[in-house]
Amino acid sequence: MKQFQAEIIDNRAIAQSWRELILSWDELAWAPEPGQFLTLRVSPYSDPLLRRPFAFSDFASTINEAPRASIIYQIRGNGTRLLSELSVGSKINAIGPLGKGFPLPKADEESVLAGGGIGLGPLLYLARTLAVAGRRCILVLGVRSASLLPLIKLPAGAVVCTDDGSSGFRGTPVDWISRNVSGKAHIYGCGPAPMLAGLSRLAGEKGWQASLSAEQWMACGVGACMGCALPKSDGAGYLRACADGPVFDSAEIDWEAAK
Amino acid sequence: MKPNLSVRVGSLVLANPVGLASGTFGYGSEYESLVDVDSIGALYTKAVTIEARPGNRPPRIVETPSGMLNSIGLANPGIDAFLADKLPELRRRRCAVIVNVAGSTEEEYLEVVRRIEEAAGARSRSDTGVDGYEINVSCPNVCHGGLAFGTDPVQIERLTRSLRGITERALIVKLTPNVADIGPIAAAAEAGGADAVSCINTLVGMVIDVDACRPSLAMGTGGLSGPAVRPVGVACCYKASRAVKIPIIGLGGISCAQDALQYLLAGAKAVQVGTGTFVDPSCASTVLAGIEAWMEKRGVQRVEDIGGLLS
Repeated sequence: MKQFQAEIIDNRAIAQSWRELILSWDELAWAPEPGQFLTLRVSPYSDPLLRRPFAFSDFASTINEAPRASIIYQIRGNGTRLLSELSVGSKINAIGPLGKGFPLPKADEESVLAGGGIGLGPLLYLARTLAVAGRRCILVLGVRSASLLPLIKLPAGAVVCTDDGSSGFRGTPVDWISRNVSGKAHIYGCGPAPMLAGLSRLAGEKGWQASLSAEQWMACGVGACMGCALPKSDGAGYLRACADGPVFDSAEIDWEAAK
Repeated sequence: MKPNLSVRVGSLVLANPVGLASGTFGYGSEYESLVDVDSIGALYTKAVTIEARPGNRPPRIVETPSGMLNSIGLANPGIDAFLADKLPELRRRRCAVIVNVAGSTEEEYLEVVRRIEEAAGARSRSDTGVDGYEINVSCPNVCHGGLAFGTDPVQIERLTRSLRGITERALIVKLTPNVADIGPIAAAAEAGGADAVSCINTLVGMVIDVDACRPSLAMGTGGLSGPAVRPVGVACCYKASRAVKIPIIGLGGISCAQDALQYLLAGAKAVQVGTGTFVDPSCASTVLAGIEAWMEKRGVQRVEDIGGLLS
């Protein structure tokens, strides 16, 4: 975990209200795990106050070049709106890599990556990492409607689901997976809480492993403030999205209560 | 000449006036790779209670204009786990370590301090890991204890006196701003034998999600912190410092040296950085460097003299 100034290399629209931010920085050439995140200070002023967490959607580093990291984000409030207004060449304060990432699948597991909306981000990086490791995967992206699909290249074989049927499969990633995946799968999920609850239920029924990335409001992002609590499945308290996660084995969290 | 930054709190001498506020810095290790903790004057731990507490239902946090509301609910592993897992880490610290203590009853506060006194050993040793206690009688996010103690001068004085009877370590009572006049509350802590009071804890606040027609925090209300509360904190320190002779430790919305200097000019002898650390983990170091630069520029010799400069 380091705090550093990153330079904005690109900050462009990729869908209705979705953007991709590309950052680069000097010297620190660590590679984050897929599922890990960084926090950005979107404004030097006190409003909005808190840093914003974003999962890596890509990362590349070579010996001769500065590292380049991507995040994709959706403009949802003041913080992300300010982020969208930052120009190429400007600097932003970052802390990362933070949290625990996705575990790799076992040799006999088929990797199924389910992204709901902007939850696609960390799964793009996971898909790329799996490809480099010579592992196949299926990426299933769910959005409300075709007009919301991002203008980015999805991994080969990716499945698009829309709630209204305007593109690809009509239904959610959970619906698609329950009908089309058989055998031994490892589910990787990131997206809205109801989708994570659905993936957790499905994995439980099928006896699959599921690694789900949770979203929760955070203050510190490093495990100190206990703000980003998620209810444990055994009812014995809470885990921290920032330091115990954001990726959890689905059996650890009560996803229904977390909705 | 380099200014003298040391501050005396009872029998404890802090190397400098800047501390890391309870609840914002865990037990010190969470920020280890980002902050040179030992260069800070004091680390105030996350609150410790007798029993482990899971904390409140989430959501526990919501952002507000120039601030945030929290409703953590004193989540902590309890005194046994504190002594087994956290105290050994704290013994390695070179900065002062102040353990924040919370409870639902007077006996619970006493028991936490008693257990730490037994485990940490004689105060004269340099490696005990505990230099003092900050008594949290001002948490707005728990049903029992906390704020109920903190708004009643009679209870504050009695609790402080009981604690004074079992420890020679620095005893700091953390006060709430959720009272009509903080002066008599600070005076009660002083009468009970406190070495200092710290103020302010968070202000009770509420945010409502108008789409969902429900409070943004699961518990309804929470504690407001961040730059939004700073003028309230400065005023409380100003009033408290005129009501007591013991040192005041100021906190609430400090994010730069100018903010900290307002507290010191208002009468605080030391300060704490809390929410500011979330925004920038190096905030406390920046504040400390800025205070020193301000003193050098103005030729102020001792940080303890800053309060006397207010006209």
